[in-house]
This record gives sequence, C-alpha cells and structure tokens, in this order.
Amino acid sequence: MIRLEALTVRVGTFRLEEVSFEVPSGGYGLLIGPSGSGKTTLLETVAGHVPTLGGKIHLHGEDVSAAPPEHRGVGFVYQNYHLFPHLSVRENIRYGLARGATAASAQLERVRELAALLGIEPLLERSVHGLSGGETQRVALARALAPRPSILLLDEPFAAVDPATRHMLRRELRTIHERERVTTLQVTHDFDEALRLGDVVAVLAEGRIAQLGRPDEVFRYPNSAFVARFIGTGTVLRGTVSRQSAGGAPGPFAAWFESGPLRFEVVADREGEAHAVLRPEDLVLSREPIPGSARNRLPAVVDRVERVGPVSYVHLDAGRPLTAAVTTASADRLELATGVQVVVTVKATAIHLV
Amino acid sequence: MTAKDSLPRGASSSNRVHLPWARVTMAALGALLVLFIVGPLLRLLWLATPASLGEALRDRELLSSITLTLGTATAATLIGAVLGVPLAFLLARRSFPGRRLVEAIVELPVVVPHPVAGIALLLFLGRNSSLGSGFARLGIEFVSHVPGIIAGMLFVSVPILVSGAREAFRGVDPRLERVARTLGDSPATAFRRVTLPLAGRGILAAAVLAWARGVSEFGAIVILTYNPQVASVLIWDRFTTLGLPAAVPAALLLLAVALGLFAVVRVLQPQERR
Repeated sequence: MIRLEALTVRVGTFRLEEVSFEVPSGGYGLLIGPSGSGKTTLLETVAGHVPTLGGKIHLHGEDVSAAPPEHRGVGFVYQNYHLFPHLSVRENIRYGLARGATAASAQLERVRELAALLGIEPLLERSVHGLSGGETQRVALARALAPRPSILLLDEPFAAVDPATRHMLRRELRTIHERERVTTLQVTHDFDEALRLGDVVAVLAEGRIAQLGRPDEVFRYPNSAFVARFIGTGTVLRGTVSRQSAGGAPGPFAAWFESGPLRFEVVADREGEAHAVLRPEDLVLSREPIPGSARNRLPAVVDRVERVGPVSYVHLDAGRPLTAAVTTASADRLELATGVQVVVTVKATAIHLV
Repeated sequence: MTAKDSLPRGASSSNRVHLPWARVTMAALGALLVLFIVGPLLRLLWLATPASLGEALRDRELLSSITLTLGTATAATLIGAVLGVPLAFLLARRSFPGRRLVEAIVELPVVVPHPVAGIALLLFLGRNSSLGSGFARLGIEFVSHVPGIIAGMLFVSVPILVSGAREAFRGVDPRLERVARTLGDSPATAFRRVTLPLAGRGILAAAVLAWARGVSEFGAIVILTYNPQVASVLIWDRFTTLGLPAAVPAALLLLAVALGLFAVVRVLQPQERR
C-alpha cells in the first residue's frame, strides 16, 4: 500500500501542495497530469530522493517519510530507463541483488527468472549500448523488480517506445504486476493508459490533485473543466445555468444551460456560471429530428469526419464546436461528410455539469 | 547517439555539394595552423640522431633532472587529486553559497602569468612569510627546495585537474545514482559502484593532463626553486649559458616524455567523449 498524506514538496520554483493519495496493496495506481505538473517529482519523493516539507509517506503501513531510499523497498523505472552504461545487461539486472544477503546462485536464478518473464534471455551477455527502446525498457523493469520490491514506481515507462511496442509492454506490465504482486504507481500524461492499466487514478494539476478515483469514473464524471479537457472526456462548454421554474423541492432540478447561441435542457444542482461536458458517445446524430421527451435537439453542420477504425469522430458546428462519436458503420449509413446538415440529440441527463 | 548524430556537421553531403569553396578555404587555413605546430616539433626531432640521444642518455645531470621533474609532477598531481577531486564532486553535484566564487577561484591560475604566480608563491611561502616560517619549523622549506617545485606545479595545474574532474562528475546523470539508491545502495556505495566507475576515466584523463602541465612548468618554478633544476629550468640554463647545441639533447628527451604523456591522454579521452 502507498499512502500519501498532505504531502508538500518544494524543488526550486516547483511545488506539490498537500497531495493525498492512496494505492491499495497489490493495486495499480496512475498519476496523470500535463508536463510540468510535478509527476516525476512526486514519484521521486515517494522513493525518497526529494525531501518533504510537510505530510507523510506510508508504504505498507509504515511511515517512511524520513527513511533513505535504500530502506524503502521501492523499485524505480525512469522514463529514459537510465541503465548503468558501464555494466552488461545481466549485471544491470543483478545490481540490486549483488550484496551480502543473497547467494550468488540465487542471484543468478532470479536474473534468469526475470529475463524469462520479460523475454530478454538472449540479451543477458550484451552491453546495454545498442539495445532497442523496448529492450531497454524490459531490462530496466527487470532490474527494478530483481530485489523483489514491495512498491514499483514507473515514470512514463512507455513514452520512449514506438506504439506497437507500447501496446505489448502495457499488456506485459499488467501480467507482471499480477504475478509479482507489487503495488505499482505509474506516472503518465496519457489517460488512455490510465483507462487500460489503473485501479485508481489521480489527476495532478499545478502541484495539486485535481481529481481522484477509478479511471472510468474520472473519465465519465470529471469534476472540473480542466480535468474534462485534459483527459479528453468530450466537448467542454462554458455558460450559465438557470432554473426552468421557480421554487421546487431541494435536490437536482430541471434547468437551462446557455452557452452563446446554444441552449440545453439539463439537470442541475446549482445555478450560475458552469461548464457543461458533452461526451462524444452521448451525442446522437440523425438526418431528421428524433421524437421523444427530455431530449435536446439542435441543428448542426458536419465540419470533418475522423475515422478511427470502427469508431468515427464527427466534428460539428452547432454555433459552438461539438464532437460526436458514432460507429463507422452508422457514419456510412448517414452518409456523413463535410457540409452535411444533421440533427444532434442529447438527453438532459447526459450533460455533465461541472 | 546514432552514427549519424556523431558525424561532424560539416560532413553532411549537402555542404559538400553546395559549399566546396568554403570547405577548401577552411581546410587551407587549418592546414597552416597544423603546420605551424608540427613544423617546429619535426625540426627538433630531425636532430634526434643516435649520437645526440646517446649523449642525452649518458648525461647524468639531465637524467636526474628529468627524474626530479617526473617525481615532483607526480607529487603535485597526487596532492591536487586528494584536495581537488572531492571539491570537483561538490562543485558538480551540490549547490552551496559561494559555489560560483569557488569555481572562479579554482580557474584563476589560468590567467595569472606564471612568473607572477612564482613571485606570489615566493611571498606567500618564503621564509619571511608566516606560513613559510611555520613550514620551516616542520622542516619543510619551499624556496630553493623540492617543495617549492611541487608548489609551483600544483598552482598551475589545479584548474586543469579540478575542472576536468568536475566535468567528469557532471557527465554522470544523478538519476543513475538515484536508481542505485532505490536498488539498495547507501550514498557511499552508489558513489563507488556507479559514479566513480563512470567518472573515473575522465578524472584520470584530467589527472594526466595536470601532470603534463606540471612537467612542462617553467615560469613559476624558476622563481621559487632554481636549484635543484627541473628539466625545463635545466634546458633554459644550458641554452643561456652554453648555447643552442647544448640545449638540444635535453629538449629532445623532454619532448619524448611529453609526447608519451600525450599519447596516454589521447587513449583515455576519446572514449570519455563517446
């Protein structure tokens, strides 16, 4: 378990403010944020390389806030891997084992086991110069896992490899995570990775945690315009919420959300300035208006159709830019193309106000 | 780094196609300078007949002078390394108040003319100075003694040693040390297993250069310790008292030593810059 309590860190002009976050034992946590939001610094703080100004770091229930890195039992993989250039692949993996406590035969056995797990046995005698990105990443991972750390910290581990390798490594990493039962905290700027890998995700913005939760929850219900935009939940519109009828019972109420020329029927719990998040999959496109109640209908013109395999993203102009996701099959059936007039239908309850 | 990255920029094919005249001009200017260095040395080596070398090798005074030079340069380098390598590490890795000032001070001997350094050292370490009289009580005398030679060599070679070692430490990514720490190393162990092996070659190259600087020093030493004579002082002494022919065999032998050193440095350096 990794538990951060109100962690405050300052490095130069950069700061982390009161960051609290927990990854359960054996869990896979993701820390996501734009470049410069302090993700690497947070990982280095957990590893013990950066001193804290306030707050506590608990690893498996033990307060390690003051412990040096070598006593924290964490494995660390940097974005650029940082293999030891003066050592062979085998010596790199063995590095954390090569001390008094472990017999040489047991060390070599552990190196073999990890090399087999990661498919890098043929590389063991090689120098680390000239390894491919994917190979380097596997060696770095094996090196970090060799001393059986209880915590694994990964700093953008897939950023330096090509997409095909990234896809494969991601699957392998999930398998290894389950096999080695190591509590993992990974930093990424790619929310897609969070959706695929994480049990829990924290969105970091300007040194603070903007939102915390299960990746699918955060994706569906971003709590701010920043999070919605950053993780790409959908179109974010800025506007005002006003009650449809005065008075009424406490709790959510039917309201209008107005943003420039657009007016949507929404379900709100407060009035005034707000952002509406419209998820592409909640916008239904048709050539003729679809009948039914509690639905918003608005005319729009197709600006551009972006076909991404089985799904197509339709960028629309409805007075404000909107993006809808439809299956590529329906995009073909509706003969969607630039300049085509369509009707956008969206349920009042599908519009997420933040 | 890929093979392409390591090519000098001028070697790209587009330059060769579009600017042949520029390349020819640059090559011609450079060739003049190279000749200016190689010419005099070849002219001197031209005199290296078996007779002149035999004369040099039979010259007891010259041989003991060269031995003295190599010994004192080694002592100066060792003292410099013991005092300077830890300082180089601090300069490369830690920020502390006055770091830039210390860095500038360590580079200062580069701009101090060597006889000026000799006079400054004479005033600072001479028997009339408090430091000099303190050392004298311990039985160490600088002026006209071997420690004076070592002091002169140390003064002029410090910038080479410290800045070379500092750059060698800077070339080691601190994240490598951090990885070593998470793999269980104490700071001292990470230094021994990662930092030192990676910076070692650069530090050694800096030490050899500093040593060579000590061997070739004349200006500061001639003021502090004329006798016993190091090789450069001996050559100057023979040139001024006996004339050019008497100085040549000694000059040849010292040049041979310097070229040998240079070869060692070249072997150490290119891999460091790879």
